[in-house]
Amino acid sequence: MIRIKELKKSFKTEEVETLALNKVNLHVEDGEFVGIMGPSGCGKSTLLNIIGMLDNPTEGSYNFAGNEVAGLKESQRTQLRKGNLGFVFQSFNLIDELTVFENVELPLIYLKENKASRREKVMKVLERMKIAHREKHFPHQLSGGQQQRVAIARAVVTNPKLILADEPTGNLDSKNGLEVMNLLTELNQEGTTIVMVTHSDHDSHFAHRVVNLFDGQIVTESHNRALEARV
Amino acid sequence: MFKNYLKIAWRNLIKNSAYSVINIGGLAIGITACLLILQYVAFETSYEDFHTNKDRVFRVKQERYNAGKLETEWAGGAFAVGNSFKEAIPEIEEFVKVVQTQDIIVDVNDETLKIDQVFFATNSFFNVFSYPLLAGDLNSVLKEPGTAAISESIAVKIFGTKEVIGKMLPISGGKDYRITGVYEDMPLNTQLKPNFLASYATFVEQVKTNSNGEQTPDDAWDWDGCLTYLMLKEGTDASAVEAKFAPIVKENESDFTKQSNSSAKYSLMPITDIHLYSNFMMEPGATGDGKTVYLLFGIAFFIIIIAWVNYINLATARAIGRAKEVGVRKTVGSNRNQLIGQFFLESALFNALALVLALGLMAILIPAFNQLSGQELSYALFSKSTFWIGLTALLLIGVFLSGAYPAIVLSRFKPVEVLKGKMANTQQGTLLRKSLVVFQFAASLFLLIGTLTVYKQIQFMRQQSLGLDIDKTLVVVPPIVTDSTYLSQMLAFKENLLKIPSIKSVAAATTIPGQPVNWNAGGIKLVSQGQELAKQYRVIGVDYDYVDQFGLKLIAGRAFSDEFGADPEAVILNRAGILQLGFNDPEEAIGKRIDFWGNQYTIIGVSENFNQESLRLPYEPLVIRLIPDVRGFFTMKLNSSDIGSTIAQVETQWNSFFPGNTYEYFFLDDHFNDQYLADQRFGKVFGFFTGLAILVACLGLFGLASFTTLQRTKEIGIRKVLGASVLGILKLLYREFAFLLMVAFLISIPVSWFTASNWLQGYAFRIDIHWSFFMLPFVVIVLIALVTVSFQSIKASLANPVKSLRAE
Repeated sequence: MIRIKELKKSFKTEEVETLALNKVNLHVEDGEFVGIMGPSGCGKSTLLNIIGMLDNPTEGSYNFAGNEVAGLKESQRTQLRKGNLGFVFQSFNLIDELTVFENVELPLIYLKENKASRREKVMKVLERMKIAHREKHFPHQLSGGQQQRVAIARAVVTNPKLILADEPTGNLDSKNGLEVMNLLTELNQEGTTIVMVTHSDHDSHFAHRVVNLFDGQIVTESHNRALEARV
Repeated sequence: MFKNYLKIAWRNLIKNSAYSVINIGGLAIGITACLLILQYVAFETSYEDFHTNKDRVFRVKQERYNAGKLETEWAGGAFAVGNSFKEAIPEIEEFVKVVQTQDIIVDVNDETLKIDQVFFATNSFFNVFSYPLLAGDLNSVLKEPGTAAISESIAVKIFGTKEVIGKMLPISGGKDYRITGVYEDMPLNTQLKPNFLASYATFVEQVKTNSNGEQTPDDAWDWDGCLTYLMLKEGTDASAVEAKFAPIVKENESDFTKQSNSSAKYSLMPITDIHLYSNFMMEPGATGDGKTVYLLFGIAFFIIIIAWVNYINLATARAIGRAKEVGVRKTVGSNRNQLIGQFFLESALFNALALVLALGLMAILIPAFNQLSGQELSYALFSKSTFWIGLTALLLIGVFLSGAYPAIVLSRFKPVEVLKGKMANTQQGTLLRKSLVVFQFAASLFLLIGTLTVYKQIQFMRQQSLGLDIDKTLVVVPPIVTDSTYLSQMLAFKENLLKIPSIKSVAAATTIPGQPVNWNAGGIKLVSQGQELAKQYRVIGVDYDYVDQFGLKLIAGRAFSDEFGADPEAVILNRAGILQLGFNDPEEAIGKRIDFWGNQYTIIGVSENFNQESLRLPYEPLVIRLIPDVRGFFTMKLNSSDIGSTIAQVETQWNSFFPGNTYEYFFLDDHFNDQYLADQRFGKVFGFFTGLAILVACLGLFGLASFTTLQRTKEIGIRKVLGASVLGILKLLYREFAFLLMVAFLISIPVSWFTASNWLQGYAFRIDIHWSFFMLPFVVIVLIALVTVSFQSIKASLANPVKSLRAE
């Protein structure tokens, strides 16, 4: 699904050029659950943003499901992203002015689905996330764990091939965190590819494979054989 | 999608209700003000617009030159102009002659009715102009001598019906008229508003009779008073026609004119320009003032821009609040154009709500606005298509102008940055926001300085001494119907009035202060001078008591007196008059004789210049000529406070001396001040809208101050932890706005100075622009801004820093 070759990303300010990613090579196969770990500032989020097509690499190649992404314009990236990718953020990033239902519905609106099919899909995914009873509530009326379940619902409602999770449990207590990880695992078992950035050793154990980044380079890769076998 | 956008726009609107109220309220006030002014401007610019042939109908304007110098400008000219021009210039399709004449009194069923706005007009009147003739034949109306056309409402007033064709109308002291036409009452937006139109042929006959057949108006080149309108053939170039005037005028120039070294120049003025751009001698009706109209238009423009600027400022200042939403929308699949569309929709929602509110406000405000501006806007406005077209245009422009920038800024956010909270720094758009605030302040200052200037000028005009005493003076309008015994009657009337104890003195004159001197005489010179030195003067015919009653200050010589037998050949000139004759020292002029149309008069006195009319107009060279039996206004100086009974006593006398004439009176000071009504109205309207503009600007400033203060909450917290005092924090918050105010002030000075001095140019007697005209508004604006900003700043500076720092 993901073929990254010799990927470089640098940020320039007036005086300094910071190399955030340096010659990164990474393959992610369909159905894999990959964790990306590393200390603060090592470039994990940058990598995730490039994989999520929110950002463009400076150099190198990024092939997503057969399409070269590097060098695409923002509008083209938006087009490719639509329906194929789902995002889960540490800080949930729900729109405060929209209800649970409306937040989850949003990606479907941009996919121009009709109202009835939107209703059906949203309710289905909300039920699955055990949050359907809260469909009319606004984000601030929910607990953190509930908000993250809504965010996951929004990420998966379009049935994406890939879910990108950026420290999905970072703002949750351990009980709610575990619940979120279980949900992600479930999704993965149903065939969704997941790439997750995390700080937490505990969470990394849910991944088949963990990539360690340090100063913009992949330093080690470890495989969780027990989980991998199940794929 | 649309629904989703609307939903979120609405929820944002509700959630940030203070912000929404400021925005929508400001926009609504702006739109209301703009609409009201636009309607006023539309009305003022609509004069004569309804004539089908407006593009090819012109009024002939006359300029009189003496020794090559322009002396006077006239709405009308010689009587021969119309027919002579038409004869010689094939491009002229038709001409209309219009002559204003004195009011008439008609006798109906033993009752007298005075009719004003009486004109003579040629038969072409209804062909060239698009005034609808309701009854009568277009080809024969106003053709025969002794025929007339009357307006619908006058017909009903006199006869009780509109079916009056062929009826005879008896005129007190004159011949009867046969009615050959009834026309619709004139619309408001036209200059000519005749109640009674007599045929021009009647006038020609009258002139012939009075001159024993010696004079025909159609040949008259050396006496004038005739308004001439020309309708050119379609596709004719007006300036080419104009060029053909001079040779014709030259050819017909009288010997007298030639000797006087004077000349007349005729030109064409489009009839649609008359209302706003002409205020010449002998105008047949009130004119407007183009400058005023465009100044008001400018105010409307400022107010609405200020309101739109509020939207831009507040929407971008609030951008942080929407950043996350933009990020999320982008990650879930929105492209930039969709976001731009969304924010435009939001601006459309705000503008539309404001518009609805504005319509309501307008409906409430129309009566008040009419009172303020003297306009006659009505609710019929709402049924006019032009109104709705204008409204839609205003909405679209508003949505675009106010929505574009916020839409671009908001849709530009990068999801990676905003979702990670890296957006703390919002330098973006700060400069623009500051510039816009500067603009708002500068515009407010400009308007305030303008208001102050207008008020000061009006105050100056009302307080300035006129050089004439017009207090406690009762004026009685001269009788219309008189006979050969007028002189003795008038003298007896005056004598009887003096018997009324509360009347100190009685005088009569051809004109009174506050009224234009319509008697213009060219060709006046010293007897010793050659005809080429003759000049134009304005002439007032007065009786013996005039000088004394009005307290004319004589700087040389003496007043008229019947103790000197030969005084009927005496004149008094004002200072401007003797200056024009060539004397610098008034004493030198005394005893000199002037030649006035072949008669000789002796200068027995020189008066100081006085303001015969509004201070808008300069002193003019005046010849005050003694005419003991002058036919004109009676003026009475009163000395008692029992005005009611005096008026009644005068009426009794009036009725016994001038039966069949309506008794009309007024007080001279009121009459004089009426000249400033238009100025006062302008001042009030200007002041009112300036107030609105400042209110809208303050709303915006309040909103902006709230947001910037909010953004700096953390900074304030840190500063307080580090030991900053409340006062120190306040200074910090004020400093930013103080700087913007200073910049605005500097910008507003030259702009308002230029505009104010330009406006004042329209007044012959005017105030000097004083530094306080700038400082005072500045201080006012600073205070208003200070109060506005303080609401939030004081709260922020007093807040406990622990709170703001923990709120991360």
